[in-house]
Parts: sequence; C-alpha cells; structure tokens
Amino acid sequence: MTTLVLELKNILKHREQGGATFELYIEQLQLYKGQFVAVVGESGCGKSTLLDILALVSKPNSCEQFTYYDSKTIDIKQLWEQQQEETLAMLRRLHFGYVLQTGGLLPFLTVLQNLRLVSEINGFHDSKIKELAERLDISGILNKKPQYLSGGQRQRVAILRAISHHPQIILADEPTAAVDERRALNIIQEFHNIAKENGTIIVMVTHNHNLVAPFADVTYSFDVSDVSDTLTQSYLLKQ
Amino acid sequence: MKLPIITRLAILDLWHEWILTLCMVLAIASILTPLLVLLGLKYGTIQTMHERLMEDPVNREIRPARTLRLSSQWFTQFKQRDDIEFVIPTILRGSSVIRVTTNKKRLLIDLVPTDYNDPLILTNNGVIPQQDECVLSYTAAKDLGVKKGDILNAEITRTRDKNKESVQVKLRVVAILNPRADSLTRIYAPFEFVNDVETYKEGRAVYNRNWPGGIVLPPLNYDGLWLLLPQNLTSIDEINLTVSTGLTEIIKVQANEFEQELNFYPPNNYAIYKISAKNNPITTNSLNIVKNKLRGKSAIILPFVNNVMITDKNNTKIIGLSLSKLQTDILGLPELPWGKFDINTNFARQGQALLPNNDKSPVISLTSKVIGGEVVFPVNNQGASFNKNIIVPIELIGILRTGQINQIIFDQRQKTFLSAKTNYHGFRLYAKSIDDIPELYSYFISQDIDIIAQIQEIEKLKILDKGLTRIFWLIAIVGIAGGMAALIASLYASVERKKRDIGVLRLMGLSCLQVFRFPVYQAIIIVILSNIVAGSGYIAISYTINLMFINEIGSKICTLPSTYFGLIFIITIVIATLSSLLAAWKTTAIEPAEAIREE
Repeated sequence: MTTLVLELKNILKHREQGGATFELYIEQLQLYKGQFVAVVGESGCGKSTLLDILALVSKPNSCEQFTYYDSKTIDIKQLWEQQQEETLAMLRRLHFGYVLQTGGLLPFLTVLQNLRLVSEINGFHDSKIKELAERLDISGILNKKPQYLSGGQRQRVAILRAISHHPQIILADEPTAAVDERRALNIIQEFHNIAKENGTIIVMVTHNHNLVAPFADVTYSFDVSDVSDTLTQSYLLKQ
Repeated sequence: MKLPIITRLAILDLWHEWILTLCMVLAIASILTPLLVLLGLKYGTIQTMHERLMEDPVNREIRPARTLRLSSQWFTQFKQRDDIEFVIPTILRGSSVIRVTTNKKRLLIDLVPTDYNDPLILTNNGVIPQQDECVLSYTAAKDLGVKKGDILNAEITRTRDKNKESVQVKLRVVAILNPRADSLTRIYAPFEFVNDVETYKEGRAVYNRNWPGGIVLPPLNYDGLWLLLPQNLTSIDEINLTVSTGLTEIIKVQANEFEQELNFYPPNNYAIYKISAKNNPITTNSLNIVKNKLRGKSAIILPFVNNVMITDKNNTKIIGLSLSKLQTDILGLPELPWGKFDINTNFARQGQALLPNNDKSPVISLTSKVIGGEVVFPVNNQGASFNKNIIVPIELIGILRTGQINQIIFDQRQKTFLSAKTNYHGFRLYAKSIDDIPELYSYFISQDIDIIAQIQEIEKLKILDKGLTRIFWLIAIVGIAGGMAALIASLYASVERKKRDIGVLRLMGLSCLQVFRFPVYQAIIIVILSNIVAGSGYIAISYTINLMFINEIGSKICTLPSTYFGLIFIITIVIATLSSLLAAWKTTAIEPAEAIREE
C-alpha cells in the first residue's frame, strides 16, 4: 500500500448558497493504491464538497498541489487553471468510478445497459460483467429497469457499474444510506474486497462511523466551526 | 451496426417515456398532416388546372391579330426559339377559302396549313395529312357529312383577267378532329398544298400541279454602273447623277482599272466613271433615270454587281455585258448575240453565253450562291468569247444579285428564274408550355406584332397559384410556430427533468458537446416519427378526398410529388434541430457535480 495515486495539498473550496458561505480546507490528502478510505461526518460538514473535488467536477478556489499519479504524473491543478474540461472528462471516464446515494442509475436503461454504459463510453466491451453480476447476486435482474429494484439491488448494480471499467479510484457518496444495516454491511464488505483484490482506492463518504470503522484503512473527519452567522469553515482531519 | 452511444441513449430515453414521446409525435403530426393535405390540395388543384391548360394546345396557341408580312428567314429564325413547339406560316384569309364538295353537300371551307408535329392535330385524334390528304374539323366533317377515309373534291377558284378559273383536287380525309380542337368549319392540309392554293389564287401558275397561270420573274438589281463617255462630266452632271438614282458615289477611274474588271479597254478618248450605290442595290428604274439624265451625251452604261459569285466547272471568270451593235462597234468588240440591255428579257435571252478556249459544249451549267443555298442553271453556248472569260448577258447577273436579297428559284420545267414566295401573312404558333406564353407575348409586343393568346387565362391561374401559396404559407407559419413552441417546451422540460441523469452522464465522462447532442437527436427522432405518422395520415386523407372528387373532376385534386416529401422532411428536420437548441444549450449548463448534489 505504498503506491501514491492522488495527492492534494492546501486546498480551499469556497461555496455560497442563500447568503451563507461555506469553506472547506484540505491541508493534505494522499490516496494510495488499494486503500479503503472512509470520510465520516454529519450533514453539511463538506463531505459532498470533498467528493466533488476528488471527482474532478468542482474546481478548488485555491490549491497548492493536486496531482494524479498514473504511468505519468498529471497536474490536475494545471488542468483546472487551463480549463481543460475535455481532459478532466477523459480522466473521470477512464480512472474514476462513482457510487451515488441511491445508485445514480439511469432510469431509461436496463440494469445490463447501465452496467455496460461506462465501458461503452470508454469504447470497450467488458465481457466479465455477467460474471461479476453473478458474484454480486444481481444476475437475475439484468433486464429490469432501476425503478423495479430494491435499494440494496440498486446499490449493488451501482457498485458493479463503478468497477466495470476497472478504475483506479471509486468514489462512493453514502452508498449505504438507503439500505438496512445488514445490506449496508454487505456493501461495505464488498467495497473492502474490491479494494484489496484489485488495488482500487475506495473513498467512501458516510455519516455512520461505526459501520465503516472495521474496514477503513484510514478515516477522515471534519472540524466544523461557525465563524459567524453567514460563514462556516470546515477542516478535513485525518484520524 | 451499432448506433453511436448518444443516439442510442436518446432513443432509449424516448422509448422509456413512450407515452410522452407518442404525445409529442402526435402533436407534431397533427400540425404536419393538415399542412400536407393543404399543400396537396393546392398543388393538385393548380396542377390539374395547369395540366388542362397545358394539355389543350388551343390554350398554347398564339395567333396574329392582323395581317402580317413575315419572311421565310423570320420563320427560320423564330423556329430556333426554345419556347416554341410548332410554328407554320399561314396564307391570306381571302386566299384560304376553297369549295369542297361531296356526294351530298357543297361548302366553302377555310383551308389551314399543317405540318409534322402539329400539336392541334396530334392531340385531337388526328394524324398529319400527307400529299392529297386532309384532316377535317369536327364541324366541317359534320356539315359535309363525311367520315374518315372519304374522298373530298376540293375546288380552288380565282378570277384572272376578268375570267373565272378553277382547278380541282381530290383529298382523302385521314382524320376528323375532336370537337374541342376547333369549333370552326376548317380543313387542314399539308403546307405545300395550302401554299400552292395561295399561289394559284394570286393568279400565278403552279407547275408541279399543272395549274395554269402567270409567272413572276425576279427583278434585276445592281450595285452600280460603269459610265463611258466621249467627254468628261461636269460637276453639275456628277451631282445630278446621284439625285433620285440610288447612286451615291461617283469616281472617275483610269482605263486600266476598268480593264481589270471587264478585261477590255475602252476607247482612248473616253472618260470612265464608276458610279456606286453604297447601301441598297439599284433597280432597273435607276438605270432608266441615269439613261435619261445622260440623253444626248453618247454615254455607254454598263451595270455591274459586287460579290456575286458565278462558277462553272472550270472556275472561269464570268463577265456580264449587254451591248447594242453600235456600242460594240464603239468599244471595238465583236457583236453580242443577245444585243443591248433589256429589262424585259426572259431566260430564253438571259441564258446565253460566249465561251472561251473554243469550248464547243452546246450547254454549260453555272452555279451561284443565293439566299437559301445555291441555284444551278444552264446557259446555251452562243459562240466564242472575245477574251479568256465567259461573257453572259448582264441581265442574268442582275437576277443573281436579286437572289442575294430575295429568294429566287430556277424552274427547270419552265427554264426560267422565278421569284420564290418569301412573305407570309400570318402564322399558327403553339408555345411549348403555357408558362412560355407571357414571354412570347412580350416578344411579339416588342416586335409591334399584335397577337391573340390565352394570356388572361394563364395570368388568372398564376394569380390563383400565388394566392393559394400565400394562404398556405400563412397557415404553415402559424402551424410551424406552434409546433416549434411545443417542441421547444417539451425538450426543455425533458432536460429539466433529466438534470440528474445528464449530470450522471457528465460524471461518467461524457463531454459537453456529447450531452449537447442528446436533445437534438431526440428532436430529430420525434420529427422523423411525426413525418411517418403525418405521411400516413396524408396518404389516407388524400386518398379519401381524391376518391370523393375523381368522378366530378376527373383527376386527383390532392396530390404531391415525391420530391415535396423529401423537401418537407428536410425542412422539418432543420426546424426540429433549431427547436432543440435551447434545450441543448441547457444541457451544457448542467455540471457533473449536480448528479452528486441531486442525490
């Protein structure tokens, strides 16, 4: 677990909504290959903002270092500064997988079409999808539309979709929020297995610290303080 | 073949929301279908009226409103126009009436010329008549009580020298025209026959039909004259010779210049003048005036022409000379067999020659270029030329000069030159299309030729077409605007609804441009489906309309050519694409982060 994949240093993200300002400070964040990273915090602490930054969809307001290490070093800070949206989209496409709170499945596609979508966007056909579906116990629902699935089924499909194109980093935004504790445990177990077996980095955002603690290699939390009526500051802390 | 990913996603999304898609397709089809039917009705109605006007050559006919004088050249040139289907000269109305008799009846009938490709005949149950054949109008056939195949006896009458004369011809009826072709009592015959009838009626003979009569000899024309005088002309004399003679230029020349032209020298003490007409050639009348003006001056007048090429088989130079015995004596030339210049001479006198080089041929053939081609004629050998040239009467040369400005022919049977008929008094003309008539009308007006044509009917049709087109576009614009508004609203609302899905697609790595295409493709797909539904609806409705009216009208009144469907398809695709741009622009504003936020 020594290969560094993503490194962020002294990042500030500033957000305004309804007259209130929120600032997230990230002093340092390093993600290593095969690491299971838990990001724990209450609502409004900046979990999703952190995920936006990691998912390359939200530009930091200030940044000392934001580097992605692949076969070559990619300076994400510079890509943001140069507004190279196409390159950022390509990085997202190739190296990132996403699991959203309720799955983030496209309702007009069947489960199988959802699973194949990322591979197709990347221009390849993954023949192992059905095999992985068996393993996640969703092979019987491949032709169903997402609205006919239970919360647990939806999340498992989302996990499978996230790993279908073999990304280096999977970002999971409260993937257990919509399922019962037993299912949640299964999901986290599954993420842990994927991280260990494939060397994939799992960044899992959750508010349930107890659920994720047994599996996490490293846990981050937030130190939130209301500086004034209109300004809230949050600092990412490594536990 | 696998469709591109955005196209597939667009189709799958529409399929997923099939009820909304169906509603949208039906909404657009409900605008398109009546527009197609309306366009079909407009096109079909105008087309039917247009075809009816087109089909009937009567509507494409242009007739002169008064008697004209049109030359053969005019007809030759006019036939070159692209907007003419058929044109033929006609004769004077007074000359075109012939008496037709059958076993039962006797009628005076108007004779009309026809020829190959006459659309009036060909589109009205007729065939083009050949020699000794004719086609009758329906009224003529009815009045005469004849049918196809019957033989008519046509009598052509004239009064010449106070005597009534007539000739008779048998004509076989080869067709009877439909009643709509011609409401008058008319007989259609080959142009040559009609032309001969006019020739006969004018008192002339028609030798190929053995119809007796007079002949019209061509007049003589010259470009000037040589004047040989024993003394010089005074300047007053010189001016006087250019007054009322058509001669414009008088030059005193040297004897050798004269010799170069005529190959003999004038007497030493003679003054030589070359007097020319600059523009138009002079006639024998001018020669007589000159002769009178020089009375008592012992002048010898030798008319000449420029650029009349006469050739024999050996290309010998040919000189025209007509001189009296006294004149040849003065000039020191042998006497000419045909003697002095005589304007009244016929070809028996003109067709003589003195040949050089002891040519003993009794007759030689000469050729000269005239209007319409070449004229070939024989001349009799009257003996040896006094030089190396062929000497012919100058009257012969004068006729050939006339042949350069008016058509002349050499009649082998009569052994004489005749003036060919060069002017016609009218025409029968059919434009290629009714759309060509306004332009032809303008042409004739510019030529100061009054004509009668169905111009008003055509203008009425054009105004109707223009009016219907305006109404169609008015309705079409309202319909299209409504359709566009519905499509814009639907696609925009769809993008608003699918913000999260589009955000997920962006999160997965689709670029702005790729998601931009998503609503555009959906709009195009909706419009393609709408076109199919609208096309089917149009087919069903137009079939019903045509079925209802086919008996009354006799043709389809709701019809569209296939190219229109292609054009409408392309136009609707363009409109759909334009309508989708707002929604497409909206997709580009959706950030991938919104997918995460929406959750």
